[in-house]
Amino acid sequence: MAAAIASEKGTPEQQVRRWIQTAVGWHTLLAIGGMAGLAWVWLAGNGETAVTFKLLATVLLLGGTAVSAIAAFDLYRLRHRGRFLSLALNYLLFLLCFFAVIHRADGFIGFNTLANNFGRALPFLFLAFIGLLIGNLGAAPGPTRQLAGRIVMALGGVAFLILAGLATAVRALFVALTDPLTLLLAVTLIPSALFIWAIWRQPAASLLGAKNADNEMLIGWAFLSPNLLGFLIFIAGPLLFSLYVSFTNWDAFGNADWVGLRNYGRALNLTLAPLADAAQRANEVLDITVYDELTRLTFLGRSYVIGAEDKLFWLALGNTLKFVLLAVPLSVVPALLLANLLNSKVPGMKFFRAVYFLPSVAAVVGIALVWQLFFNASIGYINYFISQITTFLGIADPQIRWLSESSTALLAVVIMAAWQWIGFNTVLFLAGLQSIPRELYEAATVDGAGSGRQFTHITIPLLAPTTFFVLVTTTIQSMQIFEHIFIVMGTNPAGPGNSTLTLVLYLYQKGFQRFEQGYASSIAWILFAIIFAATLFQVQRQRMSGSGYDV
Amino acid sequence: MNPLRKYLYVMLVLLLTAVFMVACSGSGSDEPAAEEPAETEAEEPAAEEPMEEEPAAEEPMEEVILRWRTRPDNQAEIDVYQSVSDELNAKMEGVTLVYEPGGSESSSYQDVLRTELAAGTAPDVFWIPGTDVADFATRGLILDMRAMADATEGYSDENFYPGPMYHLTFNPESAMSGEALWGLPRDVSTFALYLNLDLLAESGAPDPRELAANGEWNWDTFLEVAQAIDALGDDIYGYGQNAWWGPYGYWINAAGGGFFNEDRTACALDTAESLAGLEFESRIYNEFDVAVPYGEDSEPPFLAGKVGMFQNGRWATPGARSSANFNWDVVELPDGPAGPSNWLFWGAYVVNANTEHPEEAWQLVQELTTAETQGKISALGANIPSRVSQEALDAFLTFTPPDNNQAFLNGLARNPATEGPLWAGSWPEYDAVMGPAVTAVLNGDQSIDDFAATICDEANKAFTQE
Repeated sequence: MAAAIASEKGTPEQQVRRWIQTAVGWHTLLAIGGMAGLAWVWLAGNGETAVTFKLLATVLLLGGTAVSAIAAFDLYRLRHRGRFLSLALNYLLFLLCFFAVIHRADGFIGFNTLANNFGRALPFLFLAFIGLLIGNLGAAPGPTRQLAGRIVMALGGVAFLILAGLATAVRALFVALTDPLTLLLAVTLIPSALFIWAIWRQPAASLLGAKNADNEMLIGWAFLSPNLLGFLIFIAGPLLFSLYVSFTNWDAFGNADWVGLRNYGRALNLTLAPLADAAQRANEVLDITVYDELTRLTFLGRSYVIGAEDKLFWLALGNTLKFVLLAVPLSVVPALLLANLLNSKVPGMKFFRAVYFLPSVAAVVGIALVWQLFFNASIGYINYFISQITTFLGIADPQIRWLSESSTALLAVVIMAAWQWIGFNTVLFLAGLQSIPRELYEAATVDGAGSGRQFTHITIPLLAPTTFFVLVTTTIQSMQIFEHIFIVMGTNPAGPGNSTLTLVLYLYQKGFQRFEQGYASSIAWILFAIIFAATLFQVQRQRMSGSGYDV
Repeated sequence: MNPLRKYLYVMLVLLLTAVFMVACSGSGSDEPAAEEPAETEAEEPAAEEPMEEEPAAEEPMEEVILRWRTRPDNQAEIDVYQSVSDELNAKMEGVTLVYEPGGSESSSYQDVLRTELAAGTAPDVFWIPGTDVADFATRGLILDMRAMADATEGYSDENFYPGPMYHLTFNPESAMSGEALWGLPRDVSTFALYLNLDLLAESGAPDPRELAANGEWNWDTFLEVAQAIDALGDDIYGYGQNAWWGPYGYWINAAGGGFFNEDRTACALDTAESLAGLEFESRIYNEFDVAVPYGEDSEPPFLAGKVGMFQNGRWATPGARSSANFNWDVVELPDGPAGPSNWLFWGAYVVNANTEHPEEAWQLVQELTTAETQGKISALGANIPSRVSQEALDAFLTFTPPDNNQAFLNGLARNPATEGPLWAGSWPEYDAVMGPAVTAVLNGDQSIDDFAATICDEANKAFTQE
């Protein structure tokens, strides 16, 4: 009987060949489906469908069609490349269909519903757990106890599922599957899963000439895929999209018109015009329909005015650079000194290390709101203490308007940000200090070097890699400053006279408040170029100086 | 496999199955999830179709879920809006309302809303400030409800103040008002001067309320009072305002100037009248030195009892009620060289252009702006009813303190300039140019002449924006 069934099914190799032949048919079908999809996108698609979407769909469908066709051909010729392509394509197709079904069935927003119901169903999950304990605890539970345990488990589990909303869920799922597209996606799940299973198995692998290295490579890709897909979808994808958007005038609501480099040109467009005298008005020499006066300069006795098409971009860039120049030293140098203090073996030092690190873990919003009160010119604590000191010393109270004067507003933000960043930088320096061998200090002491010479000739050189890391990260952080300013400056984040308008704040305003996502994206890419150049410069400097040091 | 481990695997599989299955139920819950879009399987009539076209009697009534949002300033307002939502929920048959309190102004209410609109997850009905109406309307984000309004018995644009309705009925294609309906005003507000009566008494200055009653409350007497209070000490200020377009706009308007020309198509900040108003305000800061430094938030020092006269809207009343430990009241703004002036601030309930239930949303907008509903909101003290209704105004006068609520209503009656969007340009761009330039003048960093020479060159670019 068994032999008859076996001969009916054929030999194992014949069975595998049948699977592979079916897979060839499946990939041919997918390729045809891809072409049909392509035709639908361009011929039958809604006239209002964005060109961006059409192009993206074209790339994906063409790519999928090509890969599927090659996979079909290679599988037919029993080439291992066909196995690799088939597995990759079916894997991606399975994920795509799975998440698409969940999305179309409102699964993602349905997790809220689950959260609402989960609490009331939870006790029955505990009941099921109790059933598990009843049936399994003890050295040798009898059959009656095992049966009782299983019944309790089953009852608890069923009650849990019902109360969690299973009945509603099943109904909703079936309703969702009445939609043809959702049904098609759900049905596609089955063959894609089946062919992953069939082509992955060892018999198919052997028939397709897979070597150990091929299997290891596939396993490697499989383990890598969650992270790789996450990176491609959530990081690389948005980055590329942002790059595309920067060449359009997209407002986030309608279709985007391609404007080429116009956004970049608008941001960077400057002009220089000579002035008859230093007091001449800019609108007499500039085309005021395009340019605004940015600044004036005098060179070889001649005055000039620099006009900018987007004055605010240049102001924001200037403020960003000012912020970097102030905040980086203020958050790195004190951190280095503090780390040296905290590196000493004094009782209670761990407490102080924690205290200095606290601002780094505190929420920026909370910190900014507290500092906002501190900086208040009329009732703030900072001015109160300054007033007390000046009264004690008998000198005039400067009455600093920290947040309301263009000369001090950025400085106030620098103080707040540096205060917060010092703690984290201190910890980094502390780790660097603790990696310096104590013997070097002992030898230097024996040689008669004082603590100052030890600091400059041992500590600073051997901390170079840490210092490099701290400088690079703090510089990048400073260039991207946003939250501190956005909160502490209240309803006017740009500050008096735009003195706290930084590049990230400006692109936020353009993108999210003034409907100019395209222009905002171009600013983001300009900022990226600046940060990249600054980091490259720091890396080059580090390489030139070398990380080692001859003590 | 170990039996215990096997059962644990079974339990885990059951749990995961439950999670995904229940999640896939989406809106299948008894209670609607806050994020889920409003849905119904019933065919909805298009916005243009007449309202009387209702489903046949034998068809079962499908429940419509409407999400709505407004910008509350505090928990008390959230509670009142929630109770209003609950009452309307009971009143509107076949409609389930889900009220979502939006973030406050400092929590970027508008930014969040715009992002949700772009993502297609914004509520069906939401509030926006008056200055945003043009941007939202011209980009097709909000629904023109004119056809539904015309088909609604008892509805009239004239039930609301004409200033906001000019903009809310503006048709950008024909540049004519009265042809569209983008929403209905939730409330209105005007400026008043919040008075610290204790400082006033201590200074011996005349009472501004009496001066106003006698018709003697003008910029000269204002300055006298401010100087008298300011003389009480180095940390006492005669006057305070906050740094945004509303407060300085009053000084410009009261001198006969304005931000824009008459048809709001060009900058008018460089006219002689506008410059006169700005110059007087600049002297308050830089010459007379009687004000909280410009740019500083004046509310904390006022609530701390250090400011004699604080210029702000009705929305500052709840804060004064809860935090001021001194005697206080309000008085209308002083008359300027061109006579009385004020602002008429407003915001509107509008309908998401992508709502699946335009009829129900329109009904909700009407319910949210009835005199009864507005009375409940006004009782909190933060705003004034937007309906031209003596009943609503009489009720508003009873919501004390302040005793002199009439000062806010006087602001409505005495030549207020209406807050409004720029249909011919971009208000945010205009504000981004105007604000820093005015700040520079008020901080003494730029002369009036320099301001006059450049401001409109830069500001007029806002009118050429797409």
